Amino acid sequence: MPRPLMTLDPVFVQQVINGLSLGAMYALLALGFTLVYGILELINFAHFNVFMVGSFIGMWALEALGLSGQSITLSGLALVGALIFAFAVTMLASGMLGVAIERIALRPLRGVTGTAGMITTIGVSYILFNVILLTVGAGSLNYPNPLPTVRWDVAGAVLELRQVLIWGVALALMLGLQLFVSRTRLGKAMRATAQDAEAARMMGVDVDRVVMTAFFLGSALAGAAALIFGLYYNFTSFIIGYTAGLRAFTAAVLGGIGSVTGAMVGGVLIGLIESLGGQYVATRWTDVIIFSILILVLVFAPSGLFGRAAATRS
Amino acid sequence: MSDLKVPAPKTGVIGESFAWARRASPVLWLPPRLRSPVIVAAIFAFALLFPILHPNDADIDSVANALTYAALALGLNIVVGLAGLLDLGYAAFFAIGAYAYGVAASWQLAPQWTSFWEPFQWLGLVAHFQDSGSDVVHFQVSFWLMMPAAAALAAFFGVLFGAPTLRLKGDYLAIVTLGFGEIVPIVVRNIPTVTNGAMGLNGVMAPQLFGWSFGVSATPYYYVGLGLVALLILTSQHLKFSRIGRAWMAIREDEIAAATMGVDRVKMKLLAFATGAAFAGATGTLFVAKLQTATPEMFMFPVSVMILVMIVFGGIGSVWGVVLGALILQLLQSWFLEDLSQWLHWLGRLIDVGWLQRIELAGSIELIFGLILVTMMLYRRQGLIPATRRVAALTLEEQSAPVTRGGVDSLQGLGALAGAQAGPLLAVDNLTVRFGGLVALRSVSLAVPAHSVLAVIGPNGSGKSTLFNAVTGLVSAEGGSVRFAGSEIAGKPPHVVLERGIARTFQNLRLFPNLTVLENVLVGMHARLHTGAVGALLRLPRTRREEHAARERAMQILAIFGNRLVPRVDHVVSSLSYANRRRVEIARALAAQPKLLLLDEPTAGMNPAETLELADQIKSLNRLGLTIILIEHKLDVVVNLAERVVVLDHGEKIAEGTPAEIRRDPEVIRAYLGRSAESA
Repeated sequence: MPRPLMTLDPVFVQQVINGLSLGAMYALLALGFTLVYGILELINFAHFNVFMVGSFIGMWALEALGLSGQSITLSGLALVGALIFAFAVTMLASGMLGVAIERIALRPLRGVTGTAGMITTIGVSYILFNVILLTVGAGSLNYPNPLPTVRWDVAGAVLELRQVLIWGVALALMLGLQLFVSRTRLGKAMRATAQDAEAARMMGVDVDRVVMTAFFLGSALAGAAALIFGLYYNFTSFIIGYTAGLRAFTAAVLGGIGSVTGAMVGGVLIGLIESLGGQYVATRWTDVIIFSILILVLVFAPSGLFGRAAATRS
Repeated sequence: MSDLKVPAPKTGVIGESFAWARRASPVLWLPPRLRSPVIVAAIFAFALLFPILHPNDADIDSVANALTYAALALGLNIVVGLAGLLDLGYAAFFAIGAYAYGVAASWQLAPQWTSFWEPFQWLGLVAHFQDSGSDVVHFQVSFWLMMPAAAALAAFFGVLFGAPTLRLKGDYLAIVTLGFGEIVPIVVRNIPTVTNGAMGLNGVMAPQLFGWSFGVSATPYYYVGLGLVALLILTSQHLKFSRIGRAWMAIREDEIAAATMGVDRVKMKLLAFATGAAFAGATGTLFVAKLQTATPEMFMFPVSVMILVMIVFGGIGSVWGVVLGALILQLLQSWFLEDLSQWLHWLGRLIDVGWLQRIELAGSIELIFGLILVTMMLYRRQGLIPATRRVAALTLEEQSAPVTRGGVDSLQGLGALAGAQAGPLLAVDNLTVRFGGLVALRSVSLAVPAHSVLAVIGPNGSGKSTLFNAVTGLVSAEGGSVRFAGSEIAGKPPHVVLERGIARTFQNLRLFPNLTVLENVLVGMHARLHTGAVGALLRLPRTRREEHAARERAMQILAIFGNRLVPRVDHVVSSLSYANRRRVEIARALAAQPKLLLLDEPTAGMNPAETLELADQIKSLNRLGLTIILIEHKLDVVVNLAERVVVLDHGEKIAEGTPAEIRRDPEVIRAYLGRSAESA
């Protein structure tokens, strides 16, 4: 009997499965950075905490359906319906939050050069963070988990239903975004604005609308990522935005900021680095690895894997 | 030109923040010249007496903490405010300074005693400690020694980290610094043998002065903090109003223009980064000495943001502004919010509202920080005390004065070549520049004799400005050579090209918009002045003399344009008319004492009378020996000024000759007017 070509270490397989799940979440979150950066050349720190607020919106949406804590699980149509409802509410509300941030805090600064825009997004991020801290409190909350526990054995590792669900949702959303950007009129206007805002404006593109769309889509995807976070980790708290946001931003940079494909690939890579690095190096060094990647990519390959942006001046 | 009044440099710690005092009322009985120094003296006198007037240890402690943050804000202000580099990981340098002292003055490291330590014991840096079987080294480096040492260590890390990253664009740099700011506390947490990890350092020695230990009372720390802040204010002001500070602000305003005016961007950015880091390192020493403990949590991202909020609130780039911002926000946190919470509780009990009785505003300080950031950015970006001041309008008399034309006869030190030169001053040979698939210049050759005026003409997009960019090092050539005064300059960075003697203006004006007319011209002199950071700091007589001479020369150069610019020397250039901005740009280029001046459409946007005036002025500069290359669309100007004309079309040289020859050249007519015009 021929020996199998190679046997996979179950621990490795398990970490790849985990990494892909994290990666799907980071990819969704990274898309928001990339969409806004592609159009405004603005690093949006508010995105960190739009994600965090999104996780609370998702929690409240599930609780509104009578689901709270880990005890109630659903199956069949009820589960599908609840999830569609939760994702729709979370994405819509997060998207609106993003649009509101753009309208109130960022549009008046459009055209102001320098770091004013970025400083403003830091301020907005702080406001969101502290509003949740002061209203909800500092403790971490149990997230509703309506998913039944279904597990499969894959090469000795465990694959859970929630992980398959995360992959499915993330893939569907990313495909949808790809179609939107490449096929629709507004999507084409977005790509045109990203290439040359001035020229796009002269060709009749409503740049305000394009910017608003980018903020809506980016924030809605952050909402989806936030709900995934809650379902995956079974908790949420006011502090989740910072670490996840910074990792997702690293993903966007690694993939090439401004590139939609890059954000997806970068997200998956960062997810894998986090899970495999945690397994084979040490969890306490994971962030050092990720931030070192961030710095090294920016310094030595600023356009990332798929990017067109040049990070150096002149 | 002896009647020109040379503006004096800003002096001492005062800078310009108290300019309002010259007009303000409370000290009106003082002569205007004395008002600002008196205010500053009063502030310091009050600060010195505060612990005596108000002997409450908790309050003195709050102010001492606030002074620590003021020192940090001053450091970040050098990096963000002056040099325009957004640093979101500034607290990392604070951590480096803090841990340097913490480790060097505690029991954290206690290696086995060997004879290796004896010289250090003799110097008083370590002590030999023997107790029940242990025989170890106790580090006890003096606070006063560690403060400058920690500053130097932090500056070293600033250079180490800045060298590869400072060429990044502003927002990318912000992210890289954020990453660095994250890594440092994690590393601190993960190397417990040196730092005691997440538990934090304990038992850090209190500073001693002549054998007397500071202990835990707040007052001595208050005075050290006050001294540190005073020193850093003085340092900031001296640097800001010097060659160094002007170079930093020029980089902040327009990096490319700064480079073409001779500012070595990498060097100046590193200097800013290192200076800011040194401020943080020194402050870290004080911080840890005062707390006698240090944990990684004290140096995380929120601290970097808090310092940023302080300088945004006080006024980015304004030295007194950021001090005020830091003091207000810190004292708001430790004094006012507590009191306000108490009042609200009282009000809540009075009107029987539950949540008012429980509200704790001190916990919402970060929310207030966020609101301050957004509000200041939207409504008052210049902060409480703006760094750039609006100068009073011209007097009626100055406004209605008839335009005078200045002379250039007495202009000194233009750097123009005297006497004849062997060979051409500038020789461009087979120069090719390619942008992706587009060939912007194809094998262009031209020679410019010394003392001549060459005009470069051609339709839009023919490669004229690219020629200037390639000569001045802004774009790199794919092939060919550029020889200036006999040596190759192709591939040299812009600031080196300027040092060799080529200065330029830009088609679309690249001034430093928030600097004054005089400051713009003084930046042009950057490469010709020698004051370094130390000279600027100490304001030695040599530095003062150089600064005064530079200002004198700047006024002479501005006087070329008669009374167009001289009454406006202290105006911010963004407030000038378009034609005056063009004149400032030419004056800035002349200040670099060029041998060769490249003018890119100098008369664009000027009316016929102004055009004629400028053409005359260019002609007189040429008569003084300056060699000039001119890109120009107005053919009357070209005919009037140029001895020879080069015509470019689609990146190729299609003709060269005297203006009269060029007018008859069929190739030129075809390029300008099309094929049918030629046959007509």
